[in-house]
Amino acid sequence: MSVTHDEVRRIARLAELDVSDEVLPLLGEQMSRILEYVAQINAVPASEGVKPFVPGPDAVRFRADEVKPWPLAFGPAEFAPAFRDGFFLVPKLGQFEDADT
Amino acid sequence: MSDPSEALASAKAAADRIVNVKRLNACLTPIKELRKSLAAQASTAHPSGVLYGMPVAVKDNICTLEFTTSCGSKILEGYRSPYDATAAAKLKAAGALIAGKTNCDEFGMGSSTEHSAYGRTLHPFDKTRVPGGSSGGSAALVAAGAVPAALGSETGGSVRQPASLCGVVGIKPTYGRVSRYGLVAFGSSLDQIGVLGRSVHDAARVLSVISGRDPKDSTCEDRDSLRLPNVPESLQGFVIGVPKEYFPQDLDAAVRRACDRAIRLLRELGAAVREVSLPHTAYAVATYYIIAPAEASSNLARYDGARYGPRFNGSEDVRALYRTTRGDGFGPEVRRRVLVGTYVLSSGYYDAYYRKAQQMRALIAQDFRNVFDRGVDLLFTPTTPTPAFKAGEKLNDPVAMYLSDIFTVTANIAGLPAISVPIGRIKGLPIGGQLIGQAFLEDEMLEAAYALERAVPAAEEA
Amino acid sequence: MAGAWETVIGLETHVQLRTVSKMFCGCSAAFGAPPNTNVCPVCLGLPGALPVPNEHALQLAVRAALGLGCTVHPRSVFARKNYFYPDLPKGYQISQFEQPLATAGSLSYLSPDRGIATATIQRLHVEEDAGKSLHDRFPKQTAIDLNRCGVPLIEIVTGPDFRSPHEARTYLLTLKQVLEYAAISDCDMEKGSLRVDANVSVRRVGETMLGTKTEVKNINSFAYVEKALTVERDRQIAVLEGGGTLAPQTMLYDSKTNGVRPQRSKEESHDYRYFPDPDLPPLVLTEQFIAEQQTLLPELPAKKRERFVEKYALSVTDAAVLTADRNVADYYEAVVHAGADAKTAANWVMTEVLADAKDHADGLRVAAGALANLIGLVRGGTLSHQAAKRVFAEVAERGGEPRNVAEALGLVQVADTGVLSGWVSDVLGAHTSEVMRYKQGETKLLQFFVGQVMKASRGKADPKLAQRVLEEKLAP
Ligand SMILES: [Zn+2]
Repeated sequence: MSVTHDEVRRIARLAELDVSDEVLPLLGEQMSRILEYVAQINAVPASEGVKPFVPGPDAVRFRADEVKPWPLAFGPAEFAPAFRDGFFLVPKLGQFEDADT
Repeated sequence: MSDPSEALASAKAAADRIVNVKRLNACLTPIKELRKSLAAQASTAHPSGVLYGMPVAVKDNICTLEFTTSCGSKILEGYRSPYDATAAAKLKAAGALIAGKTNCDEFGMGSSTEHSAYGRTLHPFDKTRVPGGSSGGSAALVAAGAVPAALGSETGGSVRQPASLCGVVGIKPTYGRVSRYGLVAFGSSLDQIGVLGRSVHDAARVLSVISGRDPKDSTCEDRDSLRLPNVPESLQGFVIGVPKEYFPQDLDAAVRRACDRAIRLLRELGAAVREVSLPHTAYAVATYYIIAPAEASSNLARYDGARYGPRFNGSEDVRALYRTTRGDGFGPEVRRRVLVGTYVLSSGYYDAYYRKAQQMRALIAQDFRNVFDRGVDLLFTPTTPTPAFKAGEKLNDPVAMYLSDIFTVTANIAGLPAISVPIGRIKGLPIGGQLIGQAFLEDEMLEAAYALERAVPAAEEA
Repeated sequence: MAGAWETVIGLETHVQLRTVSKMFCGCSAAFGAPPNTNVCPVCLGLPGALPVPNEHALQLAVRAALGLGCTVHPRSVFARKNYFYPDLPKGYQISQFEQPLATAGSLSYLSPDRGIATATIQRLHVEEDAGKSLHDRFPKQTAIDLNRCGVPLIEIVTGPDFRSPHEARTYLLTLKQVLEYAAISDCDMEKGSLRVDANVSVRRVGETMLGTKTEVKNINSFAYVEKALTVERDRQIAVLEGGGTLAPQTMLYDSKTNGVRPQRSKEESHDYRYFPDPDLPPLVLTEQFIAEQQTLLPELPAKKRERFVEKYALSVTDAAVLTADRNVADYYEAVVHAGADAKTAANWVMTEVLADAKDHADGLRVAAGALANLIGLVRGGTLSHQAAKRVFAEVAERGGEPRNVAEALGLVQVADTGVLSGWVSDVLGAHTSEVMRYKQGETKLLQFFVGQVMKASRGKADPKLAQRVLEEKLAP
């Protein structure tokens, strides 16, 4: 299971992570080794009929439809890195500029 | 203790002890802030609470209104949570004092507390070694005697593994026993808040306080809080299974000796000990390192520099903001896991990795059910394959680092409760033994742990 | 040329459920609050926050599924749809993927081309909404408001069943009607509580394989549905007829230019990496829960229409008009129950009542009982139809009992032969030449004289009696 540099780049774009060219070879090699190691589970045959296991309650519990938000000791203005007139601010969308306006 | 002056004295003494072990880099809270907050907490703490005046340190990935919650990461440097985790709120309601935030591997990803943006934590007995991780700061503070107990969190052994390496008790409760609300998510289906304590009793009473139902967490079971068992006279009637897969041929000889001694003591206490088999154990680490990174890749998507946390560099557009924030804000181990997790969930790979891992998870859980269905009450295993290793030793070999979780990940995969109790020393370094219990039968597990703790000469060479 | 091509359209409709709080947190779901005031740790995506689902949202979703004839699955699974966008705080949307809430339903609608047609509902699932990005509020910055983030939605996906943009629009209006009837959603496209994306392809008539499809987004008003789909269909036909090939891409509709343009985001951003949300156990619905939603579902428009035709002997068209809105249908039935003749009541509701409602924010200003009384006054000869319309307008405006209002306005018909004779004499005296022509055999002038008497009486004369008196006086 060897991951190509192009694949690392594609995955990094999906994960919105900057990966510099210097770290690319080492990262590719480490990812390959991890993926190779975890791929050993495919050696176990006949798990097709097995239902996935997730711990926790068998069924989700519901919340009543009431306006009762969990408390917030202070508002977004206190923790947002950029906030103005009640809005969070981010740089313009760039490649996302197609968004509905 | 029920007197405010005693609580204040306790707070001051705790602060002094934490200052004394500053060299371990176990506590991330600046000492001035810690002293001030502890004094304020002591003066307002509710005197009727069962933990009144008890200082409890809290891992840096559990949200508290006191102090910052940075998860050992640069991406949350200086972040103050506007709410308390349910576990922290319950501690305070019981009169406990939040005694600072403890160092950890970034977002809980690591087994040595070397992957922290705020520097590594030193092993309290040997500064060239690691305290284990990811809750290494909590383990080191307890082991150094600075606090009687500390909250940690587990995804694959992050409480039990450092407990074993530091010579303290570490409990991971059943999945759903303690609310995860306010625990910063790493692998949501594996994560549980756990407790490190200087004794089984210290850890257990803190666990009892933080356990129980919570309307804020859909995965928390609708159950009352854990009731503490009495210290048993003997272990008569207990059937303890020893899974052969946890004692491979190449297991460290000293670790094996320590375990053999503990097993002999369990027998002497009246327990029936049986060899059992958990045949899918060999695939546990692989299963874990698919599920945990997959969930992490999604859980960590929210750290994008838009709403909270620092921003790095000036960014022209929002994608650049994301990439520089996440690229500069996450350390190398987090980046690796986010990439692996993204990979295994991505189109074309999902079935071979994630779906297959979910099925393996079921087989591993079934192994445990099979053993428990045949009359076994508890399992005994080593907690870690070795005592504390040297700092830097496994830093560049992620798979080797992952294998230090080999005996602990199964309990997270199957959602079972487990505890690590010190069972001896190897060349002066502590080593722990693990008891794995049945879901929501922590009380039985704690009874056996009490008995083992009392019987075992933990400070002696194995 | 267009005749040689067949259009194939499928719709994905997002509908906001009518709850007071959000899908996974207790924040208000109300529209129009100051920015970022209806927010909490959960919908802000703060570290450590967790979702807890809203029971009423699931009740409404199940009602919608049942109303659309879907199979509701007793066990479904919440999944995370992962993508980065500034108004998506967690970096993923909680939705459903492999195991949706409901599948395999259908909705019949009146196709403009094919009569009654049926759209298949492939799936219906529950999800949360994203926040809002404002691009022109500040220079060089995008402003984010997370009030809408986490509001409960259902997504309703049809098969590729529509053969024209007009059909797609008709289906959408029919869907809206059902959802409004059952109080599941306000379905207000302008407020964003109903949004639609369309998959569009074309193929040669007779071809059975589907052509390359594109997804049309950003259709934000009912008025644009047909326009946007027509523009895209015409573009596809033009490309194919020009010998080109189509790319499977997302097209954005621009209502200002009535044009479409391809979305520029990269292809890989569509690798959503769905997986079951580990923060939410399976959504398990008991038989009882589902059965209860069925009983809480009102009679839906199609059923009601059929019943109106049968019970009140109305035409299908009239029944359709009366059942288009649940309030109007209920009102009509109340008028009939208060004693009015079904047919006459239908005519009144479809004309006077709906016209008045249209001018007054859909308000039904004349009580059903009052309208029934008014209809009774016409039937009993106390009011002419013309006079009754004036009474209706007066009651709508100022209230009151129709009879009292009619009397106060002096509109009660005069059925006194003595008084009528006076008006008849005046009319005949004033129109001697018409009288001559009548007497020479031009008897159809009788209606002219009746009209003149009505005019002279300012609408108060009983027209039937006036006719009798006229016939007597004009008799040779
Ligand atoms: Zn909220």
